[in-house]
Amino acid sequence: MFHWLEKHPFFFALSVFVAIAFAGLVEIIPSFAQASRPLVGTTPYSTLELSGRQIYIKNSCNACHSQLIRPFKSETDRYGHYSLSGEYAYDRPFLWGSKRTGPDLMRVGNYRTTDWHENHMKDPASVVPGSIMPKYTWLYTNEADIETAYAEQLTVAQFFSVPYNTPIPMKDGSSKVIKMADSIAEANADALDEAKVIVADMKDQSIKDAVANGKIPEIVAIIAYMNSLK
Amino acid sequence: MNKNGPLEYDYSVSKLFIMNALFVGAIGMLVGVIIAWQMAYPGLNTFLGDGLAEYTNFSRLRPLHTDSVIYGFVLSAVWATWYYVGQRVLKVSMAESKTLMLIGKLHFWIYFVSASLIVTSLLLGWTTSKEYAEFEWPIDLAITVIWLLWGASIAGLVGFRREKSLYISIWYYIATFLAIAMLHLFNNMEIPTILATSPAGETMVGAWWHSVSMYAGTNDALVQWWFGHNAVAFVFTTPIIAMIYYFLPKESGQAIYSYKLSLLSFWGLMFVYLWAGGHHLLYSTVPDWMQTMGSVFSIVLILPSWGSAINMLLTMKGEWQQVASSPLIKFMVLGSTFYMFSTLEGPIQAIKSVNAIAHFTDWIVGHVHDGVLGWVGFIVIAAIYHMSPRIFRREIYSRSLMNTQFWIQTLGVVLYFTSMWIAGITQGMMWRAHDEFGNLAYSFIDTVTVLHPYYTIRAVGGTLYLIGFLMFIYNIYKTTSARRVEEDELQNASPMGA
Amino acid sequence: MNKIYLWGIIVTGIMLAATGYTLVETAGGKKDLSEVLSGDIVNTLAIAGAVALVIITVFVVIKYVRQMQVDTAGGELTEDSWDDIGEYHNPIPTGWAIIFLVTMVWGMWYFIAGYPVNSYSQIGEYNEDVVAHNAKFEKEYASITGDRLIEMGESVFLAECKVCHGLSADGIDGKAADLNERIGLLTVKNVVINGSNNSLLSEGSSMPGRDGLMNANKDYAPITDAEIDAVSAYVANGMTGEGGDVFAGACASCHGVDGKGMEYVAPNIVTYDMNLLANVLNHGKKGVMGTMPAFDRLSIKQKEAVSAYIISLSKGE
Ligand code: HEC
Ligand code: HEC
Ligand code: HEC
Ligand code: HEM
Ligand code: HEM
Ligand SMILES: [Ca+2]
Ligand SMILES: [Ca+2]
Ligand SMILES: [Cu+2]
Repeated sequence: MFHWLEKHPFFFALSVFVAIAFAGLVEIIPSFAQASRPLVGTTPYSTLELSGRQIYIKNSCNACHSQLIRPFKSETDRYGHYSLSGEYAYDRPFLWGSKRTGPDLMRVGNYRTTDWHENHMKDPASVVPGSIMPKYTWLYTNEADIETAYAEQLTVAQFFSVPYNTPIPMKDGSSKVIKMADSIAEANADALDEAKVIVADMKDQSIKDAVANGKIPEIVAIIAYMNSLK
Repeated sequence: MNKNGPLEYDYSVSKLFIMNALFVGAIGMLVGVIIAWQMAYPGLNTFLGDGLAEYTNFSRLRPLHTDSVIYGFVLSAVWATWYYVGQRVLKVSMAESKTLMLIGKLHFWIYFVSASLIVTSLLLGWTTSKEYAEFEWPIDLAITVIWLLWGASIAGLVGFRREKSLYISIWYYIATFLAIAMLHLFNNMEIPTILATSPAGETMVGAWWHSVSMYAGTNDALVQWWFGHNAVAFVFTTPIIAMIYYFLPKESGQAIYSYKLSLLSFWGLMFVYLWAGGHHLLYSTVPDWMQTMGSVFSIVLILPSWGSAINMLLTMKGEWQQVASSPLIKFMVLGSTFYMFSTLEGPIQAIKSVNAIAHFTDWIVGHVHDGVLGWVGFIVIAAIYHMSPRIFRREIYSRSLMNTQFWIQTLGVVLYFTSMWIAGITQGMMWRAHDEFGNLAYSFIDTVTVLHPYYTIRAVGGTLYLIGFLMFIYNIYKTTSARRVEEDELQNASPMGA
Repeated sequence: MNKIYLWGIIVTGIMLAATGYTLVETAGGKKDLSEVLSGDIVNTLAIAGAVALVIITVFVVIKYVRQMQVDTAGGELTEDSWDDIGEYHNPIPTGWAIIFLVTMVWGMWYFIAGYPVNSYSQIGEYNEDVVAHNAKFEKEYASITGDRLIEMGESVFLAECKVCHGLSADGIDGKAADLNERIGLLTVKNVVINGSNNSLLSEGSSMPGRDGLMNANKDYAPITDAEIDAVSAYVANGMTGEGGDVFAGACASCHGVDGKGMEYVAPNIVTYDMNLLANVLNHGKKGVMGTMPAFDRLSIKQKEAVSAYIISLSKGE
């Protein structure tokens, strides 16, 4: 049979394709059937957080940081509760990473704070001697791209029914609404309001001034994202 | 075209791809060396000054390293050999058909232009974050076109073939083509964000190249690692096997040890490989049974992988004097050995309890590089060494340079994987360690600073490998003007100058 | 002996020695290899895997290299040849074929019968692990006190707190609180001016800012800038120097004459105490230097231990 296939390229290719496609069908289809549903308390990202997430991706933080806490005592001691599938329901793309040159960040919002990030991102070794993380100085001068974050919100709301502007049940029984703006101008204004809350806890005067002048440096957005990781 | 005389093969497309493989290979490895030194000495993140730090820091450069070596260096070499081996084992010349030639040229030039776009876009930070599939949708489309052109070339050469049955190498090229086509399509399902409209009616909001993945969270991870695992398989394994199945018997003049073994290894590999992707997601939030499937099939995978390597080593049975005297054959024999090493290491790391230690650590990076440096790199180098005298009709410029290169690069690989092996196991165990009180024994930074010596050793190893690669380029460059050779000198062992 | 075996043994030996060395160096203060491997099945398996990897590869490869050296090629050629490459009809190597078959059968068996579909879950495994871990350490350390408790606290501090407070707990140039002293000038001054609302006593207790602070010695006049400077220096210097009278007039009513605090009214501001530290760990703290996160993931014992350690640093009580 194989020798026959070797003389008939079309059927050869077909057989190869069936052999390789088979595994995909069996492994991937069933898990898609039970689509990942959000956990109670899991909310979509706000405009500023999403912008921070895009900055995280743009700088490939995921090259060094995972966002997946495995169910081991040592990991839950270090990072908090192990990850649950539903917590990732709004993560497009997922950011589990595959290398931990730096620590996991899945719940970093629980144990690091705005002012610490402000110092750390500018010069990691100044707060953590021996750190090999690069200094992310340009985040303090580049402006965050709020419009693209807004475009992403619109996209996920329109194509994947991500629940913006709808009450989302929280663990304590209350509910929460994550706002998505009606226009670019409104999105910018909303993001600026979020940014003001963050800069209130920051020290760098030039960042404070920038926000006061209606600009949002990337560092503010990425801190908003870090703080949202819980 | 002369129907009766010997076929005149046309290597012009192959030559273009060889040039590109050398060029991008050097850049990709240079970037690898840079990021390796950055991990040992983070001050180097600003090696071109603070102003350019955004473009020279580790995290911007890392995807540039992986993508340029994978898609620039390895794929170029795969295609260089395709346009060489394909003609010869199918007995068709590219010169016979203007269409085939046009396809080949278009294939190269569209690829070349896209590669430049990829480099630029990665430096600018246009990425979707998915490992080995970082590209945004416009580049995904370009890749699709490039892939279809390669498909057309395969269909063309196979269609016109004079050799009725397909040689083993062709099986592997076809498998590479099909698998990557499927993986690429499914892993890049994404929606460009400019398609959305705001309630106020604004359209084309934000950056035009940005997109959102069709899948979310765990599903996204599943598709990505189904892709990631098999992209490794079908870029770093099958086309490289295609190469060695041609170049080793050709260079040594030996017949393949066993047809049956090659048959079983091929179909075994095809069937088993795709199932093993779950080993990238052990202890994650994908269902337990799928993870177990990944582990089990990884173990099974040792055999079809080793089958090809054993077949190659047995092909050299009784030919030790060739191994000893030809650096070209040395590359291939040691390459097969590293292939065996990494295809045993991978399955061992795929055992759940071992992965608990190994995952997220440098041990994985070590595994990666004994595969890519010791296996992929060595076979590609051997292939280009073998093709050059035939393409340029000149002898290889220097055997002793080649020997020196071989030993320098071997030392480089050994330093690389031993240091990463130790670094990985060290880090994995330190993360898990509890002290006598039941508290974590180490803060994270303790597990970073201990690795400094290993990162330095790795960087030295990588630098040696790069130096060897530069010697290789020099040797090939000098070959283009070395002593001319006659057809009959090119039967088997490649002619080499002193 | 053939050179190749010697090389094999050298390579294997080096890899294994290096791995063994690493293990002992890094396994949390354990003394020898057997102790490292006995504690954690995962460690044991990882090392077993690493050892098997080196040994198997090296010796299988040597087997084939020997065949290159001493055997001769041969067999019946197939009729095909491509670009002059021939193929032998040689049989499949038996060892390979048998192992392939065995792994296939094992794989099938594992799926159909061997895989504990209903009884295994990684979360279940985790839960058991945690129970076992806690049982072991709770039994041994539930009742430790004194120096042992401080020692335990130091280990928590080094793993959890040193990224912000620094290795020597000095607060890294004012980026976080210097825990070697109860309180710094900057903090006191800030609290006196702006008040404080960090649940240091319990939920909801707070201190008024300057508008609410009157000096009883001066007919309850609101506290002045000069008085703020004086009293802040007085507190930050450990209740010494000038400003004592301002303290007595404006602060003592809540913090006590000696500054050691009053239950339910105001915290101790002279030394750290267990209650204050427990509150900081439970609620976090936001002040002039920055924000400290709450540490609810530490166990009660760990919080107690790290508090004891901090008290020991500043020689509090
Ligand atoms: C070269 C690898 C590397 C890159 C790239 C990197 N980091 Fe880190 N990161 C580290 C290391 C190592 C540490 C641990 C030492 C330290 O705290 O500085 C760390 C620590 C951190 C922490 C502290 C987490 C904790 O639990 O203490 C945060 C937050 C962080 N990084 C965020 C980022 C962000 C955001 C980016 C991208 C913009 C990034 N990192 C890029 C290596 C990296
Ligand atoms: C009305 C009662 C009251 C008065 C008067 C008062 N305090 Fe306090 N003080 C408190 C309370 C309650 C807290 C705890 C606040 C918290 O939980 O954040 C506190 C906290 C503090 C702290 C912060 C401790 C820390 O760890 O951050 C300092 C310093 C302090 N007081 C100093 C003073 C000084 C100096 C004065 C006089 C100028 C003064 N207090 C007057 C009630 C008072
Ligand atoms: C993310 C950074 C961060 C981490 C982690 C952290 N701290 Fe803090 N801590 C701070 C900052 C900032 C302050 C100062 C707040 C202020 O301005 O008063 C502080 C203040 C404190 C104080 C109050 C000191 C005083 O006199 O008011 C105590 C006690 C303390 N930390 C203990 C700890 C302990 C114990 C741990 C570890 C279990 C820890 N901290 C971890 C940032 C941190
Ligand atoms: C039998 C064959 C193989 C098996 C079963 C296997 C298994 C594995 C495993 C378990 C991982 C680690 C996943 C993790 O924990 O993060 C891994 C990673 C990797 N392997 Fe292999 N491996 C095999 C062969 C190879 C070969 C031959 C190469 C290259 C030449 C290779 C390249 C890689 C790469 C690049 C990664 C890194 C993926 C990432 O970015 O995380 N593997 N492999
Ligand atoms: C000159 C030699 C090289 C050096 C010094 C080098 C260095 C590096 C470094 C430092 C990393 C990042 C590791 C980390 O994040 O911890 C890396 C990753 C990687 N390199 Fe190389 N590299 C070299 C050659 C190559 C070649 C030739 C290939 C492929 C053909 C390759 C493929 C990869 C891959 C796939 C990864 C990602 C691994 C992962 O994510 O697990 N490298 N390399
Ligand atoms: Ca990776
Ligand atoms: Ca893509
Ligand atoms: Cu894989």
